[in-house]
Order: sequence, then C-alpha cells, then structure tokens
Amino acid sequence: MTYFILLTTNGLVIGLIYALMAAGLTLVFSVLKVVNFGHGSLYMLGGYASYYAINLLGVPPIAGVVVAMVALFLFGVAFERLVLQPMYTDKVERKDEYAIIVTFGMTILLTNLALVVFGPFSKSPPSFLQGTLIAGPLILPYDRLIASAVAIVILAGLAWFLARTALGQALDAVSQSRESAAVIGINPKRMYTIAFGLSAALAGGAGALIAPIFALSPDMGELPGVQAFIIIVLGGMGSVGGSIVGGILLGIVQGLGVGYLPDPNRALAYTQAFGALLLIVVLLVRPTGLFGRAHMRLD
Amino acid sequence: MSSHIKGSQVLQALLLLVAVAAPALIGPYWIHVGALAWYYALLAASWALLAGYAGQFSFAHVAFAALGGYGSALLTLRLGLPLALAIPLTLLIAMVLGALMGALVLRLSGPYLALFTLAIAEIFRLVLVAEEDITRGSLGLQVPGLFSGGSDVPYYYLGLGLVVLALLAMNGLLMTRIGLFLRAIREDEHAAQASGVNTTLHKIIVFVATSVIAAVAGIYYGHFIGILSPNMVILPEMGLVIAMAVIGGIESLPGAVIGAVVVYALSEILRDYGEWRFVLLGLALILVQRFAQNGLFPFIERILDRRPAAPPPASPVRGEGEYANPS
Repeated sequence: MTYFILLTTNGLVIGLIYALMAAGLTLVFSVLKVVNFGHGSLYMLGGYASYYAINLLGVPPIAGVVVAMVALFLFGVAFERLVLQPMYTDKVERKDEYAIIVTFGMTILLTNLALVVFGPFSKSPPSFLQGTLIAGPLILPYDRLIASAVAIVILAGLAWFLARTALGQALDAVSQSRESAAVIGINPKRMYTIAFGLSAALAGGAGALIAPIFALSPDMGELPGVQAFIIIVLGGMGSVGGSIVGGILLGIVQGLGVGYLPDPNRALAYTQAFGALLLIVVLLVRPTGLFGRAHMRLD
Repeated sequence: MSSHIKGSQVLQALLLLVAVAAPALIGPYWIHVGALAWYYALLAASWALLAGYAGQFSFAHVAFAALGGYGSALLTLRLGLPLALAIPLTLLIAMVLGALMGALVLRLSGPYLALFTLAIAEIFRLVLVAEEDITRGSLGLQVPGLFSGGSDVPYYYLGLGLVVLALLAMNGLLMTRIGLFLRAIREDEHAAQASGVNTTLHKIIVFVATSVIAAVAGIYYGHFIGILSPNMVILPEMGLVIAMAVIGGIESLPGAVIGAVVVYALSEILRDYGEWRFVLLGLALILVQRFAQNGLFPFIERILDRRPAAPPPASPVRGEGEYANPS
C-alpha cells in the first residue's frame, strides 16, 4: 500500500507537469489549428532559462520559474510573428505541412543550439526548498511538493484566464471560428500571437519546475514532448480541461506501470508504448478525444 | 511535357555521370559517405513522393526502413532463411504493412496524420528496444555483409543503382494517371473523390510503393553498415530525412535525392563544427520553408530551364514543364 501511494504521488507530480505541457500545446492547437512539433524544446529552454536566471542573475529559485515563463512568452511571440505569421497569407499553400515543418525545424535548431551553448552534460539548478516531507507512509521531497503546488496554481490561473477574462474569451472565440471572431472586432492574428506566447510560457514553466527534480539536459524535452501529443489527443484536441485531466491520468498510469510491471527495461518501454497505442486507438475510434469539443472535430 | 531537352534534364544526366565516376576520384572515406548518402536519398525521395506529391505527411517512414533492415536480418539470423528468400519476404511484409497503414489513415489528415504516424513509429521503436531476446535491443543487431572484401565500392554502386531504380519506378508511377490522381487528392481530397477518383485505393497505393522503397533502403543499410539499432527510428533521424527532402524539394524526387546527398555530404565536411551543423540544418529547414517552399532544387531547375532562351520570358511561369524551350 505504501508503495502504491508513493508511486501514485510521484506519478501525480509528473502528471501535473505533463498537464502544463499539454495545456499549452492544446491551446495553440485550438486557436491556431497547428500542432507545435517543437513544444518539447520550449520546455527544455524554460529549464535552462530558469537555471541561468538563478545562477547568473541570482534570483531566488521560485522566481526562476517566473523568469522562465516570461522569457519563453517573449520567445513564443517572436517565433510566431517571424515564422508562423506567413501561414495566414496566400504565400503558403499547404498550411498544415508548413506548420509541422517549421516547428520541427525549431526543435532541431534549439536542441542542437542547447548542446553547443549549454553543453551536453546535465545541469542541476538549486532546490526550491531542501528536505523531505514525511507524513505517515508518504515520503515527498519538498521540491516535488512545491513543483506540484506551483503547477496547480498556474493551471488554475490559466483556467480562470480562459473562462473569466475578456482576452481569454477572445481566444476561445477565435478557436471556434476565426471569421466570426473577426466580424465582432477581434483581431485573429493578435490572438494567434498571444496563444503561442502563452503556450510557450506554459512549456517553459513546466521545464523550470521539473529542473530541480530531474537534471537539465538538451534532450530533456523529447519524452515529455511526445507525452504531450498523446495527452492532447486523449483529452480531445483543443480542450484545455481535457489536457489537464489527461496529463494527470497519464502521469499516474505510467508511474504505476513502471513500478509494478516486472523487468524494468521492458516496463519502461511498454508503458511509453501504451501511451502511443492509446493515441492511435483514440484517433481511429474517437478522433475528438475523451473531452473533445464538437467544433474541433476532423474535417 | 515538352519533348525538348531541358536544362534540368541535362543537369540530372550530368549529376548521374558525376555520381558514377565519383569513386575513381574520391578516397575510401568519401566512398563510404556516399554509400550512406544513398540510404538517405532513397528515404528522402520516397518520402517526398508520400508527403510532397500525395500530401501524406508521415513520420513513420524511418520505421519502415527499420522494418526492412530488421526483417531481412531476423529472417536470416533467427529462422535461417537464405537471403534470396528473406529479402522478398521482407518486402512483402512491408507491402502488407504499408497497405494496412494506408487503410488506417484514410480519414486522417494534416496534424492528425502526423501524430498517428509518429505514434506508430514510436511503438515500433519501443518494441525493438524492449524485445532484447530477439532484436538485441539497444545493443544492436549484427548483420552479415553482402560482398566479401572490405571495400565499400560495391555498396556505393549498389546504392546508386537502387536510387536510380527507385527514381525511375516512382517517375513511372507518377507518369500514369495515378500521379495525377495523387496530386488531386493532395490539393482537395473531397473534390477528387467527387470527380470519381478512388481516393482509398490511391492512398493505399502510395503507402505501399513508398513503404517498399523505405524497406529496400533499410535492407541496404543493414547489410552495408553491419549493425542495426532502434536508433534508426528516433525522431531526429526522421527529422533528417524530412529536412533533406524539404531543402532539396519536397515536390521533386530528384530534388529530394540531391537534398539528401548535399545535406549528408555537408554534415561530413563540416564534421569539425560538431552540433553547429544541426543548428544550421534546423535554421536551413525553417528558412527554406519560409522563403522557398518548393525547395532549392526546383528553384535552380527553373533558372536552368530559362537560361537557353536569350531574352528572359516576359512573365515568370510557375511550376515545371509549363512552357517549351524555344531553342
């Protein structure tokens, strides 16, 4: 039982990080109708941004998360303006392919730039708070506790922002129909930029939160990047709530899978393969996902 | 299509001549590099047919290469089949799985298709990693060579022959109505369907054809390099193939081949610069896509086809084969 609780709480922490990643990815999909194949590299960049903010600028570790989010927001805005905006003109014929290729190009560029600039060896930023919480059977390092708490705060903030603010509603309007949104005076292009920036900030925040728990490395974004794809399909492409639930579920299921299946090498491979299989089945059987919204369906 | 000889055709013939003559001029190291470049050329060209012509943006292409490599190796090593039987059997498996893939993704397009194929490739890779008893997992599976003697020259010519053969076969396919229908499906699937194109059949055909070529590439690679590992299927490897095809020209099969050779050769020439090469590759991918969507080769081709005419044409014509050479 203790083992079960331990695995579940560890899975929950990772699940919250996944949820942050997936919420950003799905936000971009719902507003821009683009799957960002470079989302994992934004997560990696966020981790390093926080690391250097803490080590070079001397900001406290928690503020490093904020710095990472702001830096990634700016990066996202710049990337969207410079590279994605031409998609909405007549210059680009096949928009889906264009978006996949440029975001994939961004991953190749950023991952290798990180290898050159930050070095191939893993780096660890300082803990948010040293020590471990021991409550009965539960053993939880404070780092994980704080990362989870901050992730919950960010996700709650995001949910509030999308549902309760004028800007959030405008984003939702564009996601439902960019023409209708334009008719009532919302500038879709501005919303695309904001959505992409926000998404990058969420990925960056996730990377900064995970940094003290696992070490930083240039390829750290690959696995969570793929997991985020699985989650957004599972949760329904474009549904932020679905991606949060999906992320937490996937984190827990994988945590338990690795803990209980015999043969660790196989368990690790097959828990990951299980996620990918889930994605395939969902796409084939129920392409709108578990929490899919009708207007996001395949056309 | 005009019956005149175009500048681009002259260029292609010249490049083929250079490729045939090259081993006499370059050292064994570069022959090795060239032989490896043919592997990527096969993948990039067949992926260009799949993604560029037919609009099926698949991330599972390298998985089919691994299927070919592992298939032929495992059939010979584990079941003791002779190579002459193992290779056709592997290609048959690739055809069946390619058809299955084509049938499964019928309703998926754009990002959905990309995610679907990415997941397929990922599962395949993870199975290769996990089933160590059969595939030897990350340790790598050793594969016997095809030719005795240590020289890479036979492989170089085998690879070149495969590339030429694949290009001819794919061009042949595109010359038929199938090529026309594939483009129609890419431009507007519903309109093509409404005009009487059997979209189901044609999607399956293109998946079968390109999967077989990818499997051939994988078989060639396995026997040439002598070791297979699940790393053939990792995402950066697929990214390399995509980058080669996009930079060379996603809608031009020879363009994709040239893209593959140039990118691979450059990555060897610039070896001293380490990871900077891939920074450059990512940047090139974004810039080409941003400013020359059809890739660099069609861009050069258009200039060459224009050259023989003394005065430049009054209005630039887009697309290939649109106007006859006035000479």
